[in-house]
Amino acid sequence: MTFRSSRREFLRDLGLSAAALPFICNLPSLAFANQAQRKQRLVVMFSPNGIVPDQFWPDEEGADFKLKTILSPLESLKSRTLVLNGVCDKIRGDGDSHMRGMGCLLTGTELFPGNIQGGSDTPAGWASGLSIDQEIKNFLQADATTRTRFGSLEFGVMVPDRADTWTRMVYSGANKPVTPIDDPYQMFHKLYGQKKNQESLRSIVDALKDDFRKLQPLVSGEDRQLLEEHATLVRDFERELQANPDGLNHPEPVLEAGIKEENDNIPKISKTQIDLMVQSFQADFARIATFQITNSVGGAKMRWLGIEEGHHELSHEPDKNESAQDKLTRINKWYCEQLAYLAERLAATPEPGGQGSLLDNTLIIWTNELGKGNSHTLNNIPFVMVGNGLDFQMGRSVKYDKIAHNRLLMSLAHGFGHRLTKFGNPDFCGDGPLHGLT
Amino acid sequence: MTALIGRLLCVSLVLAAGSSTLAAERTGEIVYREMCASCHGPQGEGVPTAYPEPLLGDKSVKELALVITKTMPEDKPEKCSPQDSALVAAYIHDAFYSPLAQARIKPARVALSRLTVRQYKESIADLFAELRPSEQPLKERGLRGNYFPSRRTRDKEKIVDRIDPVVQFDFGEGKPVEDDRLKADEFSIHWSGSIFAPETGSYEFVVKTANGMRLWVNENEVPLIDGSVRSGNDVEHRESRLLLGGRYYPIRLELFKSNKAKEKKASIALHWTRPNHTTELIEARYLSPHRSSEVLIVQTPFPADDRSVGYERGTSVSKEWDQATTDAALEVAALLSKEVNRLANTKSDAGDRREKVQNFTLQLAARAFRRPLNAETQAYFSRQFADNADIDTAFQRSVLLMLKSPRFLYREVEDPANDPWNIAARMAFTLWDSLPDKPLRDAAANGQLANREQIRSQAERMAADPRAQAKLSAFFRQWTRMDALVDIAKDSKLYPEFDHDTISDLRTSLEMSLAEVAAEPRATYRDLILEEQLYLNNRLANLYGVELPADALLAKSSEFQKAKLAGEPRVGLVTHPFLMAGLAYTASSSPIHRGVYLSRTMLGRSLKPPPEAISPILEDLHPGLTTRERVTLQTKSEVCQGCHVMINSLGFTLESFDAIGRFRKEEKSKPIDDTGVYITRDGEERPLRGPREMADYLVSSGESRQAFVQQMFHFFVKQPIRAYGAEVPDALGRSFLQNDQQIRMLMIEIATTVAATGTN
Repeated sequence: MTFRSSRREFLRDLGLSAAALPFICNLPSLAFANQAQRKQRLVVMFSPNGIVPDQFWPDEEGADFKLKTILSPLESLKSRTLVLNGVCDKIRGDGDSHMRGMGCLLTGTELFPGNIQGGSDTPAGWASGLSIDQEIKNFLQADATTRTRFGSLEFGVMVPDRADTWTRMVYSGANKPVTPIDDPYQMFHKLYGQKKNQESLRSIVDALKDDFRKLQPLVSGEDRQLLEEHATLVRDFERELQANPDGLNHPEPVLEAGIKEENDNIPKISKTQIDLMVQSFQADFARIATFQITNSVGGAKMRWLGIEEGHHELSHEPDKNESAQDKLTRINKWYCEQLAYLAERLAATPEPGGQGSLLDNTLIIWTNELGKGNSHTLNNIPFVMVGNGLDFQMGRSVKYDKIAHNRLLMSLAHGFGHRLTKFGNPDFCGDGPLHGLT
Repeated sequence: MTALIGRLLCVSLVLAAGSSTLAAERTGEIVYREMCASCHGPQGEGVPTAYPEPLLGDKSVKELALVITKTMPEDKPEKCSPQDSALVAAYIHDAFYSPLAQARIKPARVALSRLTVRQYKESIADLFAELRPSEQPLKERGLRGNYFPSRRTRDKEKIVDRIDPVVQFDFGEGKPVEDDRLKADEFSIHWSGSIFAPETGSYEFVVKTANGMRLWVNENEVPLIDGSVRSGNDVEHRESRLLLGGRYYPIRLELFKSNKAKEKKASIALHWTRPNHTTELIEARYLSPHRSSEVLIVQTPFPADDRSVGYERGTSVSKEWDQATTDAALEVAALLSKEVNRLANTKSDAGDRREKVQNFTLQLAARAFRRPLNAETQAYFSRQFADNADIDTAFQRSVLLMLKSPRFLYREVEDPANDPWNIAARMAFTLWDSLPDKPLRDAAANGQLANREQIRSQAERMAADPRAQAKLSAFFRQWTRMDALVDIAKDSKLYPEFDHDTISDLRTSLEMSLAEVAAEPRATYRDLILEEQLYLNNRLANLYGVELPADALLAKSSEFQKAKLAGEPRVGLVTHPFLMAGLAYTASSSPIHRGVYLSRTMLGRSLKPPPEAISPILEDLHPGLTTRERVTLQTKSEVCQGCHVMINSLGFTLESFDAIGRFRKEEKSKPIDDTGVYITRDGEERPLRGPREMADYLVSSGESRQAFVQQMFHFFVKQPIRAYGAEVPDALGRSFLQNDQQIRMLMIEIATTVAATGTN
């Protein structure tokens, strides 16, 4: 039975309390106040288990570089791509590499001690601070000119239905992991649910008025007054429904029906979620999004590529196992295709009420909890950026010398004009945001 | 009803005549009778052959005078001078013309009412509770505890199955139970059962443990608290949940200790913070090992109901309320839509799904509307499910219409003729604030609510239902002002022990006494008024100077025992220290607060607000005076004495209880004077000395009995008692007396009277 859980979801899906229904997206403050300046956006995309370094990192530095197999789907977007090598997750403390890789990736801070035991190292709990996407979201939501209905949206693809350090990378605060929504229908309901409610309400108003008309003669004079007063409220309500059509500047997307949440549907779910994300940017529902494909140690079986083994299992295979490395390369290339699809969709969508395309105002950053699967290293964490949202100098391959990823997280905030002097563990923030990005 | 109006008119005419003989000079009334009454009738009700319309409106006295000067009498306007016009205008304005006067002279009537907030939430809960029956609560208290050797909690792996009265364990580094199959470094425990919420409100659940845990409350799938990832030094988890009073809710708690997680020790305690209480261990009396079903509780906030007449009623609507009904309908529709297959007993791909969901919708509507659907309504809902309509959309929209319809939102709006469905609904709302259940619907359908006897036998059945006890408890809460006295605070220098925990304990103590009366079928009004024993725990016993009997020595501070406070006149719940402390200032008692409570609530006397606002005389100004002397000084003027003769002398009888309700024999080294005099409505003087004589008077007094009957009637029915007949208050009072003042019998009698109005 799911009465309670669904109610909680219902309220959560609204993003606001039920009392604010059903006119939420027509509130002038939400619809207009934020239209004046350029709408900057950030998307963090995650795929698990490290990459295959020699099929991933460009050999060259600077503007003249070649995309290797894994990054080859970005060919057409190369001039808008920035590959950062040499950025390391230096956070230590409790938890194994997969746990720290995930929990510290966006938070830049240690995990609390806890009772979750990984493959090695000490058990750990949740991260001890909020993640950079939430930090920037809070920054944007605090200002009426950048505030949006949701602030941020957390998309997922086949994230296991359990809350632990491996399945959560977004934190709204210390010990406060945020659950990604990996069911496109649930995300759709969150985004468009109240529009459907308005339609439903509109569809019953006539019958309701009719009901009042039939009952009024049945009650005596003074009592009828109360019913008439109530009927007037119903008519006012009808007028409000008519005055507020749907509050959307784009047609509501139509989802393919009946996509089940199962391994073999990962490509379909991923595409549907990306489409919803693009739509929600178009509608300015949020400026920040995360896109988490599976989870740290995720074991997607990419049968659609002819790969029967789970991703995590393969990622432990040694470098000399060529067949495994080939499969891992294809798996990572598939992830990169998702990035490319998202970037292309954004590039093909004009910025509503603004200049250029959505991609001109959006930065996507693709990352991973590990540098390399079989060594479990947290050095050289992949960070591949696409899009011009934060005015970084794109079309380059940059190699740093083992710098802490906290500095990159700070750069993201600075890109939004949020001039943090530290983020996460301050020991790794010493030199401020990364040099040479802009 | 016409007879009643006639009688009322008579009364007012007699009064009017009486007052006019006293007046020597020319009054507005004399003018009216001379010049106006022949066309407008003696009370402005109109004369069919002359001017048939009643004289009522909203003009001011001045405006009215102007109109009269210019236009009246019709044949000869100059006959009425401006002076006479002014007199007559003032007279008719006050006597019958103005809306205020109309409200005053209007006979009581049963007004069309929408559901109150409590009725709405209870109805929604019961609409769905019937689809998911619960087991009966067990006598045994506590939760079922299953102990497992690992983190897996599959039933076949459990090693110990027992009842744990409370969840409060410190296993240290050892095993939870001495059993060879359990290890000290890894185990899990699974507690399950039901928890009882004594009143409606937000309950905060607090789990204290440094190990992994999860807690579910009224929600079987998603945990209220998920502490399965133990993280950092979080050893206390808190989450709140809204619960309706008087119901059981499913609860489940898991604890796991893992050998990998470097957890040396294991401990856990399950606490809660009830509304207006401090955080405390959840005692066994609130826990039962039986299984109950989830209760659907509407989360949408509603604006509070009008309570200006002393009880909640639904005789007005507002935009906020209408919006709340929309939000709540959407909320409920969304919840039901997710469960529709289970509720309608079908599957997503079943061939007969349309038919099943449609039938379920029709049944649901009939229950929500409290009567079989008429052809039109049935056709409307059926149309939603026409062949090409999306079934889920049709269902959602049907639920929305159902819950927005006046047929659901109003009581007895349909077919005002007194048909069995109205009788059934009236009984259910009176006794439960909710919808008729199946036996009651069956009785209505089978013509078994046709006479008073049949109605009474249903009322007897219904009065034994937990929902009737819950409503009675809610009434007691109002009657003892527990719901109003929420910010009791005392001077911490004078009463250092009287802290928040103590207040919380006092509240628990009174609540337990009242719950006992509500649950006991033969409990009487006397039990409330003469009860000499109080529920006390160690903390209260120490503060109020009681030695609990040795066998009652309690291990834990939160456990309560019934005990008599020896050597003091603690009589009846009126003298309960919670009420005495609540009706007092921070540093001194307040005979005025206590006297007002006794006059209004216990004796049903009406008191006007003070003619002028007067702040209490500061104690410092007269350091030698006792509270009694100070109050006497303060209220000695004529203008105060009109009411304070009664208020003070009633309040003084409770002077032996200080600001925290503790017994005292003297104040400021002077012996307490707890004598008073009550002048009854009949003018009889009753000297009363102290709480004992006060209680004895209350229990024997017709005034007190009538006040109780009337307040209970209004709380249960939410309509003015006289609207059911001028004789109803006395008739109910008589039967109450005949029935040994049994409270449940009164409840049954009230429901029967109200339901049977208009039947034979």
